[in-house]
Amino acid sequence: MFNPLFKRIGQRIGHYAGIYKEFVSNCFAAAMTYRFHFVMLIIMDLLFYLSILASVDFLFAHVNKIGSWGRTEFMFFMAFMIAIEHLHMTFVSENFWEFSYDIRTGRLDFILLKPVGALFVIFFRSMRPGTLINGFFPWYYLIHFGSQLHLGPLQWLALPFLVLLGLTLLTSIEILLSMSMFWIVESMGINFLRMQLQQVSRWPDFVYQYFAQKFFSFIVPVLLVGSAPVKFLLDSSQWPGLVWVAVVLLICWSGIGFFWRKGLASYESASS
Amino acid sequence: MNATLSHLIAEYQKWTATIKIAWSKQLAYKLNFILLVIGPVLVFFFIRYNLWSAIYKIEGITTLQGYNFEQMLAYQVWVMIVGFLGLGYNGMNLAEDIRLGRISAYLIYPFGFWQFHACGFLAFESIQFLVSALTLGAVAAMHWVQLSPLPLIQGLVFCFCVALFWFQINFMIGILAFWLEETWVLRVMMVTLTQFFSGALIPLELFPDWLRQILNFLPFPYLTWVPVKVFMGQYTGDLTQAFGLILLWAGLAFACSSLLWQRGLKAYTAAGM
Repeated sequence: MFNPLFKRIGQRIGHYAGIYKEFVSNCFAAAMTYRFHFVMLIIMDLLFYLSILASVDFLFAHVNKIGSWGRTEFMFFMAFMIAIEHLHMTFVSENFWEFSYDIRTGRLDFILLKPVGALFVIFFRSMRPGTLINGFFPWYYLIHFGSQLHLGPLQWLALPFLVLLGLTLLTSIEILLSMSMFWIVESMGINFLRMQLQQVSRWPDFVYQYFAQKFFSFIVPVLLVGSAPVKFLLDSSQWPGLVWVAVVLLICWSGIGFFWRKGLASYESASS
Repeated sequence: MNATLSHLIAEYQKWTATIKIAWSKQLAYKLNFILLVIGPVLVFFFIRYNLWSAIYKIEGITTLQGYNFEQMLAYQVWVMIVGFLGLGYNGMNLAEDIRLGRISAYLIYPFGFWQFHACGFLAFESIQFLVSALTLGAVAAMHWVQLSPLPLIQGLVFCFCVALFWFQINFMIGILAFWLEETWVLRVMMVTLTQFFSGALIPLELFPDWLRQILNFLPFPYLTWVPVKVFMGQYTGDLTQAFGLILLWAGLAFACSSLLWQRGLKAYTAAGM
């Protein structure tokens, strides 16, 4: 009974993997055409990562602790967030800028006509191959500060999965937020707000006072992106945070489905 | 005499009409505009305020490199105001306009391309001035900043010079599209470097001495740290020299962009014509 179901799921995953492979090869071809842009993207991201780490490092030259964390824990958290941002910038971020353009110009029509999930095409069609190289940066610091924190084998094993979990949560929240583009039309404001929320998530939750902490953990739960996984890595008794991440993911995906349908109903199809 | 006067009147009318159009363009998507304003305020209230509260209050620190909590809060408020007034995002679509040949239309208008963008800049500045005034009124009511007339006027004038610098830099980066496919990366790089080295993230007093020495030779401190200190009435350097330096950097950017514009026009292929 289960065999046909598994077979169907396997075929579907294979189908989407094939499509994604085409997206990736297209992006590589485009990236290789504009080599200056390719190199500049790498430098831009590295400068950004360095500025984040240097800010915290300079701060810890004057204070011993922030909350319950010292320099090592804080730098480990920052490296964890940079690892998520690196994957986000490489695989997802460009697509958010294109989505509103699709809505505004009616180009979304052509995506809707394709025999493949439209959300998949919209949010995963573009990537930045150049910035893949920058992956060494956060992982070097994760390993460096993780070793200083004496992480155990299980924690090291869990680390990449937790980075992916954080990325999934951040992307899901942002996709849900981007559904508002159906009604706002001009994307600059919503993309700007999305980036400000990324900034909020870049600091551990204990930095925030009561109201802000609750708001960004339960209403717009961006603080869970890094805080829940890192707290679990540093202290396994903090596992309830990961359960809350799973619940939030389910809520986000339901919300995306709901607002996607509502958005399509109000979509005016500018080109038609 | 009459000819000069009528020329001046015609110029004035062109500038005011273009500024009005720029206003309506910038305010056309109202929710979008509100979100652009809310962003920095959100960052200030939720990150800066909470972070520095955590450092000072939880750790029981009274002063950090000369800043007590109230002074650090005031510093961060002024960083937000300088950001509103100084950091524009004009010329963001310039690269696309050049690549797709859209600037061809501007080249035949009886109004220069730089002038057209300068009108957009002035319209943006006037809107940002109102946003800053409202924000400042709110934070002053909460006693987070103290407003004194002279530092306020000096700070506002300095911010306008910073805005001029950013306008020229953005324009210059935009017209690099005559040769480059994409230029937004250069703009983001410049903003990232400035955010860090200008003291917009953490005050320059917290930086290592060797780095501060190097920064003295670069424009970065004049883009945030100096205007913030002027607003706070705590700038101990020579203010005339500071004005001179920021205007010198803006002038250099203007000279470079003029040169690039002249060279770029020769390389322009007017796609789609």
